[in-house]
Amino acid sequence: MANPPRIWLSNETPAKDEIVRVRAQVVHIMESGLRLDAAGAPIPRDTLTRFEARLGETLVLDWLPETAISQNPYIEFTFKARESAVLKMTWTDQHGVLAEAGRQITLS
Amino acid sequence: MIKSPHFTRRKLLTAAPSLALLTGIGGAALAAPEGLTSETLLMSRQGKGPRIVICGGGWGGLSAARHLREELPEAEIILLERNPIFWSCPMSNKWLIDVVDTAFLTQDLLRPAQKWGYSLVQCEVTNIDRAAKTVHTSKGKVDYDFLILAGGIRNAYEAWFGEDRQAAEYTRQNFGSAYIPNSEHLALKNKIHNFKGGTIVMTLPPPPHRCPPSPYERACVMAWHFKVNKIPAKILILDPKPQIAPIGAGYKAAFEELYPDIITHVPNAKVKEVDPYNKRIMTEAGDFDFDDAVFMPPHQASDMVWYADLIGKGEDGRPTGWADMDPRFFTARGDDSVYIIGDSMGAISPHFGHYPKSGHVANYIGRIVAGNIGQRVRGEDVVAELPDNLCYMLVNGDPQEAISVEFTYAVGQDGLVHQTQIDIDVRTPDLMAEDFVWIDGMFNDFLR
Amino acid sequence: MTSCAELNRRQVMIMGTAMGAALGVSPLLGTAAAAQSSTAAARADTAESDRIAADFIGAADAVSEGLALDLPALGDNPSAVPVRVHVTEAITDDSWCEELIVLAERNPMPLACRFRFSQASGAADVAVRLRLIETMHVRALARMKDGRVFDTRGQITVAAGGCGL
Repeated sequence: MANPPRIWLSNETPAKDEIVRVRAQVVHIMESGLRLDAAGAPIPRDTLTRFEARLGETLVLDWLPETAISQNPYIEFTFKARESAVLKMTWTDQHGVLAEAGRQITLS
Repeated sequence: MIKSPHFTRRKLLTAAPSLALLTGIGGAALAAPEGLTSETLLMSRQGKGPRIVICGGGWGGLSAARHLREELPEAEIILLERNPIFWSCPMSNKWLIDVVDTAFLTQDLLRPAQKWGYSLVQCEVTNIDRAAKTVHTSKGKVDYDFLILAGGIRNAYEAWFGEDRQAAEYTRQNFGSAYIPNSEHLALKNKIHNFKGGTIVMTLPPPPHRCPPSPYERACVMAWHFKVNKIPAKILILDPKPQIAPIGAGYKAAFEELYPDIITHVPNAKVKEVDPYNKRIMTEAGDFDFDDAVFMPPHQASDMVWYADLIGKGEDGRPTGWADMDPRFFTARGDDSVYIIGDSMGAISPHFGHYPKSGHVANYIGRIVAGNIGQRVRGEDVVAELPDNLCYMLVNGDPQEAISVEFTYAVGQDGLVHQTQIDIDVRTPDLMAEDFVWIDGMFNDFLR
Repeated sequence: MTSCAELNRRQVMIMGTAMGAALGVSPLLGTAAAAQSSTAAARADTAESDRIAADFIGAADAVSEGLALDLPALGDNPSAVPVRVHVTEAITDDSWCEELIVLAERNPMPLACRFRFSQASGAADVAVRLRLIETMHVRALARMKDGRVFDTRGQITVAAGGCGL
């Protein structure tokens, strides 16, 4: 993929049960389906449909964006660092999995 | 030096007296330097192509010169620049904390002139006579077929000090904005590196102004320097806007998370009065005493646009401060032999106002205008092109993390230009790496 | 501002005189500036948004507390207005937020996005960027595990901005 997701974590080595803040942004057109091309034909909708974040196997956030979400969707969330594990993030659009990223969270 | 085969008799006559003395290299007396008269020619006409004079050798002017040379091999291209060296404003904030060195920001202007093949003259533009299609400079006058004004901005200290030149010069000397190369940049860097502690006030110009995100970036790099060197400094950003903008969210996060004890952002702080002697500033958000300051007065189009009498008028009849120009072809309104490019440009569209006053846009418009002039000289249809914009802002020194903003433009059904702004405000090191790729591409286009 | 057509005609004229040669009459605006338009229109009322909210609330009694909405004073970039929503009461292993929605009330499609959390999340604090078609209220609703629903609204004034105003 040309542009990997950009990810920022407040702390990759948090204390147990510390709240960790995550910011993530992926490149996506988020075509609303409401625009017309130069010939006046509708440009089909093409949006991110889902973002999932799991710490290990456990779901911590499920996000379902619609057309009001900006181009290059930005998501910021927090989760409780209950265990050392990989924070795995998956972006999906109507064509399938768009991007995946992982960050090791190690309890200090 | 004069090439006799191209030097017609008529040109010789008009060139008198100073240039006439230079003839006869083989044996005649050498000319002594002479005082400038209103008749002194900067350069006599050469060749048979049109003469294009570019005033200003920054990002826009250098880009126009390079691309004009490729568009019009026959044209005589003369670039007038007052500075002996090129000094980039883009990246200069990063230079303040030595992310890049001085050699990275600077370059002799002779190299691009040699490489691309245009005439570079170091001089100050002192007046523009559009009726006579002539630019007056500190080295004599030069006539043109096409004129490109690429002078950037001027600091409008008058807004604060009226006719009090002394206060304006005192402010520039002691609290310079470092928005116009290059002495003020060096002074600012010294100021930051020698600061022992206390409150530094930073005013932001009211929009539109040169590169809006960069005062915030500057606050970040200064705060980072103070933080790592444990200097007890406070930076007070006096912002005329109601909130941090543009790219508000990314900067807000950086201010609050990285520099909570150093940076204070004060919204709605329109400047009412500045007392540089007693180190006090009065704003609509309160009055502030300071130990040091970076005062950014309002920006306007460069002096040369005023000399050319091409400043727009608002609905209230007052000068807009920016060029009155066609928003799609960048020609002066009512005089299409004159182009205005870069930061001096006036409003483009009621939807968003001005194009960002950035190096990226200046380069892009320089290229567009070079292409348009080429089309006109060749008798082709002139194609209206749209630029884009891309900026990277460093918000953390270690690790070096940046945020970014991208602008794209399209013409809507209303016939007006529309803007889309895409913020990348997750601060990451890879954006800093992208910044270097970006500026390499830019410098390769017009400088190196 | 002049319209496209006026611009073309005038530009052809001034360019023709300038070069002392006619440039012809073909349009100047080229392919570089492909026109784009949209069928998107702001909604006249909040009926659709209210319907989505009612679906979300179900049989619960929604209360206008427990949920904080952080909005900028001004949406200076209407295509990316930062919006943060978070549950203000403590999130515990016994009491957590199950689901949260954000509504852009006057947008063509008011439902901006939906969030689902789990007991493991240990938090309900999210931020996104919205594109807003005009000045409007943004509404957020959250449902807790025990069925309580929090409901909050805030206005965002949208203004053209970017680097040029």
